[in-house]
Amino acid sequence: MSTSQDILSNPSARSVRADDAVTPVLEVTDLRVAFEGDARTVTAVDGVSFTVRKGRTLAIVGESGSGKSVTSLAVMRLLPEHSARISGKVNFDGRQLLDETKSAMRSLRGNRLAMIFQEPMTSLNPSYTVGEQINEVILRHRPISKKEATERAIAMLRLVRIPSPETRYHQYPHNLSGGMRQRVMIAMALACDPELLIADEPTTALDVTIQAQVLELMRELQQKTGTAIVLITHDLGVVAEACDDVIVMYAGQVVEQCSVEQLFTFPEHPYTIGLLGSLPRLDEKRESLVAITGAVPDMANPPKGCRFQARCPFRIDKCAEMPDLMEVSPGHFSRCWRAPMEDLVP
Amino acid sequence: MIKPVSSSPPGTPIIEVRGLGKKFVVKRTVFGRPLAQVGAVDDVTFSLMPGETLAVVGESGCGKSTLGRMLIRLIKPSAGEVFIDGHNVTNVSHAVMREQRRHVQLIFQDPYASLNPRMTIAQTIAEPLMLHNIVPAGQRAKRVAELLEMVGLRPEQANRYPHEFSGGQRQRVVIARALASEPKAIICDEAVSALDVSIQAQVLNLLKDLQKRLGLAFVFISHDLGVVKHIADRVAVMYLGKVVEIGTAEMTFSTPRHPYTRALLSAIPVAAPPSQHRSRAARLHGDLPSPIAPPQGCRLHTRCPHARPECQTVSMALDIEPNGHANACAFWRELPAQDADHVREPRNPKLEKLFAAFEAMAARPALTVSES
Repeated sequence: MSTSQDILSNPSARSVRADDAVTPVLEVTDLRVAFEGDARTVTAVDGVSFTVRKGRTLAIVGESGSGKSVTSLAVMRLLPEHSARISGKVNFDGRQLLDETKSAMRSLRGNRLAMIFQEPMTSLNPSYTVGEQINEVILRHRPISKKEATERAIAMLRLVRIPSPETRYHQYPHNLSGGMRQRVMIAMALACDPELLIADEPTTALDVTIQAQVLELMRELQQKTGTAIVLITHDLGVVAEACDDVIVMYAGQVVEQCSVEQLFTFPEHPYTIGLLGSLPRLDEKRESLVAITGAVPDMANPPKGCRFQARCPFRIDKCAEMPDLMEVSPGHFSRCWRAPMEDLVP
Repeated sequence: MIKPVSSSPPGTPIIEVRGLGKKFVVKRTVFGRPLAQVGAVDDVTFSLMPGETLAVVGESGCGKSTLGRMLIRLIKPSAGEVFIDGHNVTNVSHAVMREQRRHVQLIFQDPYASLNPRMTIAQTIAEPLMLHNIVPAGQRAKRVAELLEMVGLRPEQANRYPHEFSGGQRQRVVIARALASEPKAIICDEAVSALDVSIQAQVLNLLKDLQKRLGLAFVFISHDLGVVKHIADRVAVMYLGKVVEIGTAEMTFSTPRHPYTRALLSAIPVAAPPSQHRSRAARLHGDLPSPIAPPQGCRLHTRCPHARPECQTVSMALDIEPNGHANACAFWRELPAQDADHVREPRNPKLEKLFAAFEAMAARPALTVSES
């Protein structure tokens, strides 16, 4: 793999130094996003804070409507400005992203901040070859010739293990399989050595065997480049397999925050417990699954107090008051009055 | 209340297929002669007994949905035969087929696309009652209310339109409609794949419960092995149109024989602490080959971690063991022993107790919160 070593030759992005592990690449503080409609305002993200460190992967996990994608779009400043009201702080390498100008954001996106989406077919332009599309990113952000850009694009395709990259460079997205298209998206996202990669459901549209390949590839590339990754997913299996830290979102709020090891060893929020319990497992045959009853609350009119209370079996009177995100054990935070859950186990 | 229907002698499979195959023409000459064909399903044989759940698993393009549609002849097979309740329906007229579809219903993945937005759910559910003349017109409303209750919706909701329901509730409406014709079998094509996990668990529990009460048989088409393991009695694994392994769920998951089944099992991301992760040796490399020109010999040999030169010429005939567990790998006896890692998934006993507490508390009647 000598080529892949050469290609990522930007010295600043290289080896992960000891102190890198503590320097946050991205620091989000009290992020709020509200969408204003004619009659009602929906608060999709309500006071979310997290940090992502160099070389680490943070998972944002939650079900549809939990605000996980809106969080990432707000960080990238990709939400429509006329309808989305955003407040809070997004600190990226000392810069406040929410205060940057549009043109400053354009030169950051694709360069130092990159994003990949769920559906690789809709994120690639069907009328340009994949090579041209990767070139466009490189030429936009790097002062190099077209020939050098082409070389780099081919090297990137090789890096993400696309067979015969010289041929693929000249092909259109429809010539590639779903897994290959997603790898092209990864190649494009990493073409300028970003410090931060936001991946929104990157493997959801892929088959399991291809998903395993793509996740492994992202892991390997991260070890080489030290890119910090925010991985947004609804799949707890993907969190366990590909991430280091995790935040669990429910109805626009962070309800649990900890390391992946902690989350799967002993979750501290009832919603997480329900989610884990409702996963059908391969090693046992249960008569019924632990189902969470009911559905998510209406975000235009969220309930007072804890937002999970209507579905929570551990509910008590105090739940009518909104709990804070509290530290239950070192590094393990939960937004629940009943935590630590240990007390509930007989 | 619907009772299990039984008109045929016991021991007759509800659905039986023999040597079923389907080729789609993808390219023709100017005169309409086929130039290229995709073998979507190739030589599939199985039977479905009353009250049984057969899962068909595989990745996109393996032919599992085509197979499901051929079972009720929404797609006409190009080879083989289909029997519904002992009757050969491969070549019967449309009118006869429509009559037979009363016994076998189909549920699709997307509950948003499978309900007519201009019909109330009462009208939707009453349609099969009308079509098959199941209950007299005067009693239809009562029957609709019964069906709604059966799937966990409230009868008062009968006059609402689909857009007023969440995805999970819509899938319940679709299930109620399927139950209206009092079928013996339901084909579920990715019926829970579009739902969030917590809702998915609710619908899976409902399907199992209905099966127990009504003696329904299911053909459960899915790509999600976790879901399949939970619901299936028997499992058929498909790859590029071929069944590569078929056996009871127990056998298929604890002692998978075919390298493809092993790869599928090892590729599933497991929700367990990273310190307990399994080996990844069984995984496949490369992409799915084009189904227009599937590889010669064993179709998996281009991606199989155990491939050898002979694999390019072997046949994919099923090798059936005495216990009924069949697989299509010519060399499965020589494969390295499967480490049972993927089935172990050890869990912290304290965590199990936590789930039990969650379940016990959730079962308290005072806390049953309705979905709306």
